[in-house]
Amino acid sequence: MQTLYFTLALFLLLNLGAGMWRVLHGPTAADRMLAAQLFGTTAVAVLLLLAQATDNAALRDVGLLFALLAAVTAVAFVRRAWPNREAKHDPD
Amino acid sequence: MILIDYISTILLLAGAIFFLAGTLGLLRFPDVYTRLHALTKADNVGLGLMVAGLALQAESLAAIGKLLLIWALVLLAGGSVAHLVASGALKRGVPWWKR
Amino acid sequence: MKALKIKIHWPSIVSRGLLFSLIWWFLTDGAAASWWIGVPAVLLAATVSTVLVPPVPLAWFELLRFVLFFLTRSLLGGVDVARRAFQPNMPINPDLVEYSLQLPPGLPQVFMANIVSLLPGTLCASLHQNVLKVHVLDKQTDFLTELKTVEQHVARILNLSLHNP
Repeated sequence: MQTLYFTLALFLLLNLGAGMWRVLHGPTAADRMLAAQLFGTTAVAVLLLLAQATDNAALRDVGLLFALLAAVTAVAFVRRAWPNREAKHDPD
Repeated sequence: MILIDYISTILLLAGAIFFLAGTLGLLRFPDVYTRLHALTKADNVGLGLMVAGLALQAESLAAIGKLLLIWALVLLAGGSVAHLVASGALKRGVPWWKR
Repeated sequence: MKALKIKIHWPSIVSRGLLFSLIWWFLTDGAAASWWIGVPAVLLAATVSTVLVPPVPLAWFELLRFVLFFLTRSLLGGVDVARRAFQPNMPINPDLVEYSLQLPPGLPQVFMANIVSLLPGTLCASLHQNVLKVHVLDKQTDFLTELKTVEQHVARILNLSLHNP
């Protein structure tokens, strides 16, 4: 099982790398925001696999924190890092 | 390998296929909205299947609970993030692709 | 400004206390010593939460039914989108549709908006003045029935009645 966990974790990491192509190339700023969603799920899956593979339950807690932070980073991204073309409509 | 290991393996591999589908959709789909569809749904199912596969191997009942809790949190975040990004794109006038 | 009226609602403190205890047990991997902190934390959280988030009458059986519905539908949602992503000709036919909600504003509508994005072929793109803008992946699918079913589920969980237009 160990080998399977590590192989899958590596596979997911490559998957994440491929997804980064879209994040880097856009074309719109909205596409860059997809990184939040991509990382939210993939990083959690990688951490859970590693927790099982290395018998290190603490990594599961790291996964839990990533799951919690995914929502927060997304809000921060969308609210702060996303250039607003129609600034006059934005109440903030 | 015992039976439970086989079931785990199948679930984990199925999960990986969904993650692959999510990334494929992210790369192939024509606009940000359709890409969000792919990423949100496929990755959440992928994680769900992986959580199921790992839960079968977990050392305690509490650990299974924690795995399910993590999945529930990701689902919750995934729904909100999808909505946030889609509404942000719509508000900024990002056009949506039509066949 | 209206003062926050503090009313102790015992049944919800008990049920939330049980829920928080369960979560604490998950988080600490059942470590017995952790309950020295866990019990006060759970009691505090349960009490404070009933004041900050007033209890909503939940239909538990309906909630359970909804969880089953949601799990199967979101699994199908994943299968559906994966199938479209894998196929070489990429069979998608997206559209942006408006759906008038019959659910009351606030929690029920937000709950619905959050769920819609995880169901097959639908993505909630905006929620404004009782209108949900939904991006659908394939306009040939019967997304309207899907949306209506979800809305009815949400209404039943929260003991609300939908007024028919």
